This record gives sequence, C-alpha cells and structure tokens, in this order.
Amino acid sequence: MIYREAGQFKDGYAADEQIFPIRQDRYGIVFILVLAFVGVPLIANDYWFSAILIPFLILSLAALGLNILTGYTGQLSLGTAGFMAVGAFAAFNFMLRVPGMPLLAAFILAGLTAAAVGVVFGLPSLRIKGFYLAVATLAAQFFIEWVLVKFPWFSNYNPSGVISAQPMEILGYAFDTPARKYMLTLCIVAVLALAAKNMARCETGRVWMAVRDMDIAAEVIGIPILKTKLLAFAVSSFYCGVAGALWAFAYLGAVEPAAFDLGRSFQILFMIILGGVGTVLGSFLGAAFIVLLPIFLNVFAHILLPGVSSSLLSNLELIVFGSFIIFFLIVEPHGLARLWQIGKEKLRLWPFPH
Amino acid sequence: MSDRTIQDRITLHDSLGVAEFDFSHMTFATEAEVDACYDEIDRRLAATSRQWYFLVIYADCVIVPEVWERFAARGKNTNINYSLGTVRVGTSAATREAIRQQAGRAMFRANIFDSRDQALFAIGEMRKRHEVVGRDAAEVFLRVEDVHLSFGGVKALTGVGFTVNRGEVTSIIGPNGAGKSSMLNVISGFYRPSRGQIIFEGNDRTHLAAHEVARLGFARTFQNIALFKGMTTLDNIMTGRSLKIKSNFLTDALYWGFAQKEEIKHREHVEKIIDFLEIQAIRKTPVGRLPYGLQKRVELARALAMEPKVLLLDEPMAGMNVEEKEDMARFILDVNDQWGTTVILIEHDMGVVMDISNYVVVLDYGVKIAEGTPDEVRADPVVIRAYLGAH
Amino acid sequence: MDWQFFLEVLIGGLLAGVMYSLVALGFVLIYKASGVFNFAQGGMVFFAALTFVSLVERGVNFWLAMVITLAVMVVLGVLIERIVLRPLVNQPQITLFMATIGLTFLIEGLAQGIWDAQVHGLDLGIPDVPVKVGAINISQFDLFASATAGILVLALAVFFQKTRIGRALRAVADDHQAAMSVGIPLNHIWAIVWAVAGFVGLVAGLLWGSRTGVQFALTFTALKALPVLILGGFTSVPGAIVGGLIIGASEKLAEVYIGSSIGLNIGTGIENWFPYMLALLFLLIRPEGLFGEKRIERV
Repeated sequence: MIYREAGQFKDGYAADEQIFPIRQDRYGIVFILVLAFVGVPLIANDYWFSAILIPFLILSLAALGLNILTGYTGQLSLGTAGFMAVGAFAAFNFMLRVPGMPLLAAFILAGLTAAAVGVVFGLPSLRIKGFYLAVATLAAQFFIEWVLVKFPWFSNYNPSGVISAQPMEILGYAFDTPARKYMLTLCIVAVLALAAKNMARCETGRVWMAVRDMDIAAEVIGIPILKTKLLAFAVSSFYCGVAGALWAFAYLGAVEPAAFDLGRSFQILFMIILGGVGTVLGSFLGAAFIVLLPIFLNVFAHILLPGVSSSLLSNLELIVFGSFIIFFLIVEPHGLARLWQIGKEKLRLWPFPH
Repeated sequence: MSDRTIQDRITLHDSLGVAEFDFSHMTFATEAEVDACYDEIDRRLAATSRQWYFLVIYADCVIVPEVWERFAARGKNTNINYSLGTVRVGTSAATREAIRQQAGRAMFRANIFDSRDQALFAIGEMRKRHEVVGRDAAEVFLRVEDVHLSFGGVKALTGVGFTVNRGEVTSIIGPNGAGKSSMLNVISGFYRPSRGQIIFEGNDRTHLAAHEVARLGFARTFQNIALFKGMTTLDNIMTGRSLKIKSNFLTDALYWGFAQKEEIKHREHVEKIIDFLEIQAIRKTPVGRLPYGLQKRVELARALAMEPKVLLLDEPMAGMNVEEKEDMARFILDVNDQWGTTVILIEHDMGVVMDISNYVVVLDYGVKIAEGTPDEVRADPVVIRAYLGAH
Repeated sequence: MDWQFFLEVLIGGLLAGVMYSLVALGFVLIYKASGVFNFAQGGMVFFAALTFVSLVERGVNFWLAMVITLAVMVVLGVLIERIVLRPLVNQPQITLFMATIGLTFLIEGLAQGIWDAQVHGLDLGIPDVPVKVGAINISQFDLFASATAGILVLALAVFFQKTRIGRALRAVADDHQAAMSVGIPLNHIWAIVWAVAGFVGLVAGLLWGSRTGVQFALTFTALKALPVLILGGFTSVPGAIVGGLIIGASEKLAEVYIGSSIGLNIGTGIENWFPYMLALLFLLIRPEGLFGEKRIERV
C-alpha cells in the first residue's frame, strides 16, 4: 500500500521513459540527495568523512565502473585496481607537469588516460571470453603495477614510488578539510552516477546488455561486438580512473602503486557481486556493505570476544567476506539491489498478500 | 438486399485481368443469399475459362455471424478455382476485423485496403510479381548460388542454389539434418560458405560479417530462442532499432535533449510493432519469465523492429500449439502483406508451409532435391520419397 | 652468448615450471570433471601446506601428519563440492568462477584463523644443493620436485585409464547428461575429483612450501597457474605439464635476457607479468590452448 503506482498515469512515452518512473522512487532519490548534500555535512564528524564516507563514495564509483564492464556488458575484469592506478598517477602527473592545470581537468584527463589503457587491454575481448578474459585483465593489473614501480618518472623519482597528491583547489577555493573533500567527491560521484544511469537506460546500455546476454543474437541485429565491448572498456576504465584519482587526491593524499594491487580489484569485484551485478544502485549498496562490514565486525567481535587479536579479526573478515560471496551467489545472484527490489514489491502489496 | 442485382455487381475488367465484386451496402443474412451470390459469381467466372485477380469491395457490407462459415467456405472454393490473388476494400472497421479474423483462421491472406485505388495498385504489384517468368528473371531479389559448407570434413551443404523473389514467402523444407539451418545461417552471414555466392539486390555479399548483413536489411529469428534474457520485452525489441538510433554514449549520458528525443521517436515505432503482434501486456516483463510462444513472438518483434527487407525465420512455429501456430502464420502473412517484406522460413509443419508459401525449396542431406510452388513440390515424387525415407 | 649460462637459466626455468604444472594439474582435474574453474586451488595448496607444517611443528610424526592432512584435504574437497558447488549446478561458468574466488578468501581466512599467519619453514629432508651434470648446475631439490610431479602424473594417468572410477570420471568429463543416463552417480564422482584435487594440492603445497616457506604468498601460485592453463588448455593433463614448462622457462629467460637487454634498470619483476602477456598473445592466436578442443559455435 505504501509503495503503489496505482493512480499514476503516464500520458506519453516521455513520462514512461523518465529516469525514475514511479513517484515514490523520485521522492526517495530526492531524499537521499538532500541527506547526502545537506544532512550528512551537518551531522558527520571528521572521522566519518575521512574513514567511511569518502572511501565509500570513491569505491562506489570504482564499483560502478566495474559494473559497466562486468555487470552490464558481461566482461569479467580482474584489473579494476590497475585502471584506478593509471587514473591516480595520471592525475598526479598532469597536475605536476602542466602548469596551471585545473583540478577537474586533471581528473577528466586522468579518466581519459585510464580509458585509453582500458581500450588497449580490452582488444583481446574480441576473441576471448569469460575467465580467459579475466586472465587478460590480470595481465593489465600486473603490468600496470610493474610499470608504475619500475619507471620512477611516474612517481616523479620518489625513491619508494609514492606520489603525494597536490592540494585540491578549484577557482581559488581549497578543498582541504575532510568535509570539503567529501563535498567535492560527492559532487563528482553524483554526476558520474547520473551519467551512468542515463547510459544504462538508453541505447548504449541496451547494446551493452545485448552483448552480455547473447552476443550472437546481438551481432545478427547489427550490433558491432568489438566496438561495443571496447566502448564498455573505455567508459568503465574512465570511471575507475577518476575513482583512482580521487583515491589519491581526496582520500589518501599519498599513495604507492601497491595501494592498487590485485586485492583491491577483488574487493571491487566483491562489491558488485554483493551489491548487484548490472545495476547502478547495486554498486553503491555493495560498496557500503564492504566498507561497513569490517567496522561492524570489529565492534561486534570486541563486544562478543573481548581482547580478540587483530590478526584473528582480519582472518574473520576474510571468512565472512568469502562466505557472503558464496551465499549471495547461491541464494540471490542479483545481490542486494535485487533484495531491495523484492522489498519494494512487498511494500507495494502490503498489507495484502497479493 | 439493395436495388442492384448481383449481375450488376460483377465487373470483369478484361484488359486488367481483374474481376471486381462490389458487395457494398449488401447484407448477407441467410445461407441462401450467400449461395445465390456465389453461384452467380462462379457461373460468370466459369464462362471466361481463365483466372482473374479478385477485387472485392466490402464497403458497408454486412455479413451476419451465422453465415460467416458458409461465406468463407464458398469464397475459398471460388478463390481456388479462379483466383490469381485477392485484394479487398473495406471501410468499416467491424467488417474489416470480421474478414481479418476469418482470413486469419483459415490462414488466408487478408489484403485489406482503405480505397479501391490502393487495392488496384496492390493488384498491379501482385501481377508484377507473378509475371516474373521462371525464377531467374530481373526481379530476383536474393540469389543463392552453388553454396558449399562443411564443418571439419562433414558436409552440411553441397552446391545448393535457389532464388528468392521480392515480396514473396519462400520456405526451405527438408528432413532433420538436411542442412536447412545451415542454409539460413549462410544467408544471415553467420557462416561463410566455403564455395558459392550470395547475391543480394545484384551485389555479391557472400563475405560480409553478420552485423554487416544486418545493415543490408536482413533480420532473423533463431530456432532456439535467442532473446536477451536479462532484459524486458520492450528493451529486447528496442535493440532491434539499434542500427537506426543515432544517439551515442555521450548524448545518452546527458540524456535530456537529443537522446531523449531519439528514444521516444523509436519507442513510438516499437509500440506499433507491439500493437501489431498483440504483446502490449508483457511490455515490461523480463523475457526470461515469458512462456515459449510469447518469447517466439518477442523475437519476431525484435526482428521486425529492424524494418528488414528480408526476414529469415528459423522454425518460427516449432513447439507451438495449433492456436499459437495460427497466430504466428497470420503475423507472418500480415508482415509480408503490409510491409512487402520478403520472408524466408524453415518450418516442419507441412500444412503451414503449403498454406503460406509462394515458393518452396526442398533440401535433403545438404543437397537441393526439389523446388517450386507448394502444389508442385507436394506432388513431386522425389520429395515424397525423401519424406517417407524410401530410397 | 654464453650457452652454459643460457642452459642453466633454461633448465632452472623448466624445473620451476614443473611446480606451476603441479598447481595447474589440480585445476585441470576439477575443470575436466565438473566444468568449474576452481580459483580456490591456490587457497587449497596453502591450506594443505599450512596444516601439514603446523602438525609437524606440534610434534606429529612426518608420515602421520601427511595422512592427517590428506584426510583433511579430502574432507575439505568433499565439503566444498557439497556446500558450494552443488547448489550452483547449471549456473553460468562465470558465476562458478566468482564463487571459487569467494571460496579462496574463505579458505585463506580459515587456514590462518585455525593455525596462524606466520611464515613456516618446511624441511622435507631433501638438501637443496646443486648437482653438476656435465658443466651445468642443477638444483637437487628441483630434480626431486620434477620426479615427484612425474610420478604424480603417471599415477593420475593410471588412475584415469585403468580404474573403474577413472573411466567413470572420463565419461563425466565428456558429457554430464550421458554419464548420468548410463548410471554414473555424478555427485559421487565429483566428490572423488575434489578429494583427488585436494591430494594434488597437498603435494604441490609441500614442494612449494619447502622451497619458499609456508606462507600466505602460496595462494598466489593459483594466479601463476592461470597462464599455464591457457597455454595448455583447461582440459588437458599433458597440456598442464607442457604449459607449466613453457611458462617457467620463458619467464626466467625473459627475466634474465629481456630485462637486461632493454638497458634500463628494470630487470627484476618482469616475471610478475610476463606469463600473463605471453598467455594473452597466445590466446589471440589459439584461443583453445595447445591441447584444448576447438569449439564450434552453433546457433
């Protein structure tokens, strides 16, 4: 009863093709945006900003990038962190080497650099599929890490390969406090998420999903497979690249290539499995889950088992993550986003069973 | 009954080869009236001892439901004896629907037009098609020449060749493993023949990839339904528009403005197809949840959304019940009639094939063993042998 | 060119490749029988080695520890089959693959949670001293490892060809439906395969462990096995061996020769990505692997 679309009549295809066709969803998204832009800055403290909210937003963005490639287009990638590294190091170098480079332009260029690298490593996807492709992206992951470590030019000859992100400033306004960094990150993520949602519900998204669901049929209706896959690689890597740049600039400040190791790639893959493969919402839910779970685990473990060792805790984390992945794949392969959808269906009917 | 006599209502246009029957403002209320009318028609036509193109005017004609059966039976009989093809003119929607339903059940071509001029034009088109002498005259649309195909030494097709005329329904039939699907896959560009050619509209397109073949105006459905399982009916059909949609990922990302206009424009087109195939109710349903018969229909809708010149159907009625088959046959004929789409289909149900095809090609063990009109093929002893298995 | 040096690098690489082959073998077994690409094989190798070494350190007799670990691995294999893979039957391969990634984390967490996250030395009693063959130095340990791998492959070949279970296994690998229809109990067979894979994991774990120490990094052997499988094909036991040898030899040669010849100071670390690039190039030329079967796409 609460979530009903009865009485909401569409008077044209434009109304039916709205981004959120159901009124309650529109109110919901407005509420979340108001909460994120106004409510959170009022109540959150620095710890929340820098330890939870900023990494959550950035990882959501990276998960969104991976979801475009894996969830929408069906190309499994284990190189997400590699593309993030490209973005982080590219943004650093653009800021370093181009005098007067505006911050946002550096981020966009970082994304484009990552996109170019993504396209190169996406080329084999024409001939290989499934986990064969996963190996190709693994090549990207290791190769990128190696290049960034071995060629000191990329880190401006820092002996340990660490880059220190330049301070963030747009039109003289410095984003130097955690709250301000959060705002900047939130704006970028919101804009890119909107763009992703738009792509996903239009021609671009349909073609991606067509290639994912049945590439033979897609080809027969005239969809050029390689071009479609490469576009997905490019857009996905762009998102990952921007996320990487934010990881360096808005979150850590100083990063080394090891911050973007294979473990990070797996972490982001887990986000989309848990959150929901092939949904924009799922990227955010999955990221929230993976960012918050260790914190909850930590709190609960300390309550239940006082004096628990941190190494046991980190192993517990591995076990819980692993179990959740398996559990979700078996019970709800479409992830948290699907659970949310089922919840909405229930609400629509509630309090009646049908 | 109105003041004109039945004799007045029958006009034979000798020069055009058209027999016009004007049923306007007539009422057929009893079987006797129907018989009286058709007796006269049959008498007049028998006297000419030739066949005619029929032009039947149904404007404001009333046929009461009780005599529909009789009317259809007599009409069919007359058609078989004297007709080269029938076009109908009807202005009242109810009459039109009645005829369409009758025609649909009997798997007749409906061919209903709004005005007499349109109907005459349609007869002209029909005659043009029929006047193509033999099968290799100038109007040949698609020519398959000496096609060979093998998989690792196993020969699937050996020297198969035939032609397809514009606007006709051509069926490829044959026992299991005869190479029918392979033939369709060669035509749709999915397999490259090891020898031979595919000529379309005068150009050799043997070596084009499947997505380039699609660009030329070929659409197809698959024997095992090849829908995009994770998407809704509407999205599946919309993918058929993808060659026509001009937006790119940047305009899509911005959405408001160009991409929205494109989406709505193509959505309108897709909605017409949805109406045509009567699948309005399942628009937003994920196709994976649909029953088999509807999935087949959605696949046809996706192919139609491409506005193809040639529609390739691989067993469109396999696994369907009688009613679903009738619906599908009607859709295929309506597509062929309304848009002039050339249809090439593979089908096992001989009744359907013979009813809806203009031309039939018979394959056996990868070799063409016969071709011709349905009647010729049905009577061909070689075909009968292949089907009965008595070699 | 210094031929003696070249041969030493080559042979060293080939022998290291044998170790990759051992891990890859575990993958092939499971993939052949159940179509699952078991990413957790690396985790199983680590689990086996860590269990064994922890038992030995707690004073358990060497052979008894071996038997206990083997039993644990068999139970683990059967449990994985029962709890994780059986509910996922008929799911897309990618889903199964992701499930085994989850499984990797679970096993790693379990292994370190039950025992500890320390690096353990493991001494199998084989001295790692060079033996001189002609003018070339060869590690005695590597020779032992190769011999073990050879015996294991032979044993598996006999198992597959001569025993009833082996024949059933091959039938399952060829066609699940057909195997079921002639009365081969699939679940039973899969459990056996997982147990055998656990055993192979134990052998690989012991050899790797005694060479590099038993530590978390052992799980990465699974990653190195990926290019091996791509070269050798996912379904071929000889392919796993040959693929391992090629990867082992080429990465060492690349490390030594390409690294130094570019003239930059980039020598070290090429072996981290070289096998993947090699596999990638190979995929573009022959997607089905050296010994894999060519797939014909049908519609």
